[in-house]
Amino acid sequence: MTIDMSQFYQVFFEEAGENLTAMESLLLELDVEAADLETLNAIFRAAHSIKGGAGTFGFSDMAEVTHVLETLLDRLRKQELTPTVDMVDAFLQAGDVLKSQLQAHQEGEEYEDSRVAEVCALLEHLAHADEPTAAVAAPLAAAPTRWRLAFAPQQIGQGAATERQALFASLAELGQIQDQSGDTATRCIWQITTASGREAIEELLAFVCDPRQIELENVELEAASGQRPAVTAPMPSAETETAYGFFEPVPATANTAASGADPGYGFFDDAPGAEATQDHEQTGYGLFGGSPGMTQVAAVAQQAQLDNKRGYGFFKDLSGYNEVAANPSPTAASATTPAASARPAANRSTPADAANKRPATAESSIRVSVEKVDQLINLVGELVITHAMLADSAAGLDPVVHERIMGGLSNLERNSRDLQEAVMSIRMMPISFVFNRFPRVVRDTAATLGKKVTLKLIGEDTELDKGLIERMADPLNHLVRNSIDHGIERPEVRQAAGKSETGEIVLRASHRGGSVVVEVSDDGAGLNREKLLAKAAKQGIPMPDNPPDKEVWQLIFHAGFSTAERVTDISGRGVGMDVVRRNIEEMNGRVEVDSTAGRGTHITIRLPLTLAILDGLSVRMGSEMFILPLTVIQESIQPHPEQFKTVVGKGRIAQINDEYLPLVSLHDVFNSGQPEPDPIAGILVIVETNEGRAAVLVDELVAQHQVVIKSLETNYRKVEGVSGATIMGDGRVALILDVDALVRLSRR
Amino acid sequence: MSDERREGSAVVTDSAREYLTFTLGDEEYGIDILKVQEIRGYDAVTKIANSPDFIKGVINMRGTIVPIIDMRLKFHLGQVEYNDFTVVIILNISGRIVGVVVDGVSDVIALRGDQVRPAPEFGAVLDTAYIDGLATLDERMIIMVDIERLMTSQEMGLVDQPYLSMA
Repeated sequence: MTIDMSQFYQVFFEEAGENLTAMESLLLELDVEAADLETLNAIFRAAHSIKGGAGTFGFSDMAEVTHVLETLLDRLRKQELTPTVDMVDAFLQAGDVLKSQLQAHQEGEEYEDSRVAEVCALLEHLAHADEPTAAVAAPLAAAPTRWRLAFAPQQIGQGAATERQALFASLAELGQIQDQSGDTATRCIWQITTASGREAIEELLAFVCDPRQIELENVELEAASGQRPAVTAPMPSAETETAYGFFEPVPATANTAASGADPGYGFFDDAPGAEATQDHEQTGYGLFGGSPGMTQVAAVAQQAQLDNKRGYGFFKDLSGYNEVAANPSPTAASATTPAASARPAANRSTPADAANKRPATAESSIRVSVEKVDQLINLVGELVITHAMLADSAAGLDPVVHERIMGGLSNLERNSRDLQEAVMSIRMMPISFVFNRFPRVVRDTAATLGKKVTLKLIGEDTELDKGLIERMADPLNHLVRNSIDHGIERPEVRQAAGKSETGEIVLRASHRGGSVVVEVSDDGAGLNREKLLAKAAKQGIPMPDNPPDKEVWQLIFHAGFSTAERVTDISGRGVGMDVVRRNIEEMNGRVEVDSTAGRGTHITIRLPLTLAILDGLSVRMGSEMFILPLTVIQESIQPHPEQFKTVVGKGRIAQINDEYLPLVSLHDVFNSGQPEPDPIAGILVIVETNEGRAAVLVDELVAQHQVVIKSLETNYRKVEGVSGATIMGDGRVALILDVDALVRLSRR
Repeated sequence: MSDERREGSAVVTDSAREYLTFTLGDEEYGIDILKVQEIRGYDAVTKIANSPDFIKGVINMRGTIVPIIDMRLKFHLGQVEYNDFTVVIILNISGRIVGVVVDGVSDVIALRGDQVRPAPEFGAVLDTAYIDGLATLDERMIIMVDIERLMTSQEMGLVDQPYLSMA
């Protein structure tokens, strides 16, 4: 039976991606001065899971990098070394390399870059910085398979060192071989890394002795299996450690006496039971190992007990295995022995585990493609519309006679509304998905620019639509980098200005009345009004003589507008801010800038909660209904005749509270063909557009709705002044107004 | 469903293909029946601002927003009253759904490739570019329309031009 490993690749990619992200955020959290052991452990576990997965899926390049990474981490969490900033940097670099590798694998390629070797060398160097000839020399990352040979030289007639040397040399032909036995004459342990299989080694050994006298075992997976307990079941770190020590054959032999953590080693080393445990593990994880045990695992998934036996049989040494398998009680191994930590892993080789290989927390979530969720949202939208239509036709019925229908309808309404909310919430994700990348962005950018910046995140739990979250990433990235580059001053400048050397950037997200507000603020120099105006004059952007600040700040969103004295690779090319604004407007959001010289800049982004549903006000014009998005509406007023004024050549304006606003009449803009009714009978809706406020004249305000946004472009084309369409309760189509475009249209 | 359609249109031209015929004024037109999704009565439409008059507006067809075109207005056949017998042919043209208002649907006919004669250059209401040919059936002349080309043409303005260059 063979298993197509590729079907698990996607799971690995996603999981490794998550682990990398987790690792990165933990690293950034890590306080180098007073490293928290728990954090170090968590980082180690993340690295370890990646290594395990990568090794087992045959992505040996990733396994290699994680291996060196892990060696250093292991020493850190054992407190043999103290973390330094250099180390954290090296870890972050390694994380980047891993990400690139992961991406390359996802695209079915191999990642080739000198960075890999550099990072490995750096980590290696850091790991052994304190002791040049480290006793903890890590076993070489096994590209092919690692085998450990253990034998008593006398027994097999290889007592003489020269004879041993000959065998050693012939084995070396198979691959890399290491003598790890030290100078013991009674027992030799060799480790061979070779692409040839077990048979090849046995064949060679057969020349000199009976292969059965030599313990030959695959150590490839030990590291992976050692970390298993940590992943499948959160274990106390001490146990993980011992397990790890146990499976790391190299240092352990040398350190048995010194390392109190694994007193069991000596005992279990020769005990059949211990080997059985090991072998058992190998079968359990053979699926992920591509090891000989792999074929057995599919069977494990169906019948654990029986297949364990079969799997075990593959590994020849039967003694003791059944004991372990049949006796899962903790008595077989006390909690302090390595076997104890091996057990949970062994016992957990349940089908679900074998197939999913997920961290424990993932049990409560499933991965669903966004299309499926969107389809669900669409269908629920239809349901809501259908209900509205039913309710509409039932409205004429006598409630007394048709009591049951009425009751049913009101139940249906409640249920479909709940359903709609529940379905919508599927798409909602906390904004921390975007925010979490910024500690790194800030750290790197600040380091490049030689500035000191701290980042404060507020309201990371604010939920918004997944589609929006993804599209928020780029604009926010621009804004944050801009803030560091242009906003925050250099430390010496800050000090001279009487501010603390370290600048602060605050990213804040919050819900505010049906929309999400994301703010990026810094305590830097603020925008320079004179510079902006001078630049505007130079670029020929028309500005009034004494424009209000707000208008001046909006200048930064002009294409090609940058006031940076010099172009850095971070920003200053002036392509950023206009793209930011465009991106945000595409999401039906808007950006506002506020700035005080010397005190900092505050950028506010206002976004709808979701792209699929819109809170809107239905307005009537003639016989047609339109939807005005609630987010743009500021107020509605009943106009007086004296409020309407005309300006020659500029069209009509409306005077609202001492302010003159351009007047947009839907009748005019949409050429309704009907004579415009008396404006006094209509209603003025004051809306906020990207060119300031405007007054929209409609015939009547009808009601507030939650409408499902439908694209007109699916079957038709883009219509100016309209951002989409929706279906009203009576089954008719209503167009959703795009106020920005309306104002533009009315000027023609 | 679209697969079926593709299969259908790939049928060898020698064998008979089915056409839906409809009337516009005094003329009778035929379109490939595989492009027709359904036929329904005329509902109230939502007008779309600043669109040509032959685009009547959009309707909600089971949750899908479908534009409605009045062919009679498009081809200047005069205003025709909308009544209970006014018919909308819902077409599915390369995945886009469009409704077409016609005077009436007459028949489904089967025609072999050799029964369709090339159309001469003539001043019909329809540009000959959109006419596949002419067919005669029971003394009646049927104008075979390449509805797909007509509907995606720039003249109709139904489709954003970038979409066309993409397609």
